[in-house]
Amino acid sequence: MALRELNFTFTPDEPRPFPVGWSHRGVVGSGDMEVMFEQRDLGGDVQIKVCTPVVGFDEVWERVLDRFVRESQVSDAVIEINDNNATPVVVSMRMRQAMEEARKEAE
Amino acid sequence: MSDWKELEAKSFYGASARERARGIVDEGTFTELAGPADRMSSPHLPVLGEAVEWDDGCVTGVGLIGKHPVFVISQEGRFIGGAVGEVHGAKMVGAFVLARQMYDRIKEEHPDELAERLPAVVISFETGGVRLHEANAGLLAHAEVMDQIQETKGKFPVISLIGSKVGCFGGMGFVAAATDVIVMSDLGRLGLTGPEVIEQEMGKDEFDSADRSLVYRTTGGKHKYIMRDANYLVEDTLGDFHDQLAAIMEAPYDEIVQCRRIGSEALVDEQLALAELSVEMAPKDARDVWAYFGNEDVEQIPEMTTAEFLAVAQRR
Repeated sequence: MALRELNFTFTPDEPRPFPVGWSHRGVVGSGDMEVMFEQRDLGGDVQIKVCTPVVGFDEVWERVLDRFVRESQVSDAVIEINDNNATPVVVSMRMRQAMEEARKEAE
Repeated sequence: MSDWKELEAKSFYGASARERARGIVDEGTFTELAGPADRMSSPHLPVLGEAVEWDDGCVTGVGLIGKHPVFVISQEGRFIGGAVGEVHGAKMVGAFVLARQMYDRIKEEHPDELAERLPAVVISFETGGVRLHEANAGLLAHAEVMDQIQETKGKFPVISLIGSKVGCFGGMGFVAAATDVIVMSDLGRLGLTGPEVIEQEMGKDEFDSADRSLVYRTTGGKHKYIMRDANYLVEDTLGDFHDQLAAIMEAPYDEIVQCRRIGSEALVDEQLALAELSVEMAPKDARDVWAYFGNEDVEQIPEMTTAEFLAVAQRR
């Protein structure tokens, strides 16, 4: 079974453009993931691409990522994830950490 | 506490490959090359449905120690056990190629300062060797890295750091042995065939890989230090590894290469004499060997802190 690619686009209500050029966090350990944020003018949208070996959890991915975007209101970024069977809790945590650190870095 | 002080105080054992790469050179000098943003992930893993990482489990880059440009290779054990695939290996080779180019350039532009600007390649090992998913490419990568090490002889040092969770095993154990200097912490493990593999092939009576104490007595930093497979034993922090590297780089090249285990007729004789000794002695346990080389109270050695151990250790 080949690796799968999932693509999502979200439109936050009160867009907060991603503050730095790019930012990378995480290690693709078992049950973990890495994430790359890249600034890109998407007119207030945010694109997320997930690369994962997991089958059958596309809807869960969508819900977890949708919640992340609603909480952070991040916009104008391309976000890519290399996943290795991370649970939704781990995904949420890693995304929040990466976002916080990027905003801290921009200050 | 500043970010840098925090990083230097961090356990080498638990640090990620990227943290190690940053922390073993001088503050703020590390620049990653072929990093995640370049997205050089394995072309072989996706078809097998295996997760990929943009750095392919290998952080490469360059930093400074004093005036010495230090080319860093740092392996990430959490990604497929730090195993070496095609891209991972190519990045290792790339670091060597850049180091050689740097050496040639310094020799040309600063011939009078070659000694104080001498480059180095530093490898922070955390690996079991070949990545079986891309076995041929992984094996080839090992051969290429060996080749690169030979190319550095007579020019600049290659230094191994071993103190991470996975240890340094398989083909990369050979690679480490072929470098000029090996620095370990007592949590570091170095060997060829890993403990699980020995048990699988030879049975639990031969080697019980679940016996942590046995594994460390046989492959751990203290044992390797007594046997002079490891040249230096340091505390388990990024700062201690950094300081040891700085101390090594202060020595002249001719002195640094005295640390080698292989590479001359005299060293071959020495290794053969050791092999003979092991047949004669037929040790049942690493403790027998420690006692043979004059260590008292060998039962206590595994319990000692690094400082206590260094104060009393008798080496081969």
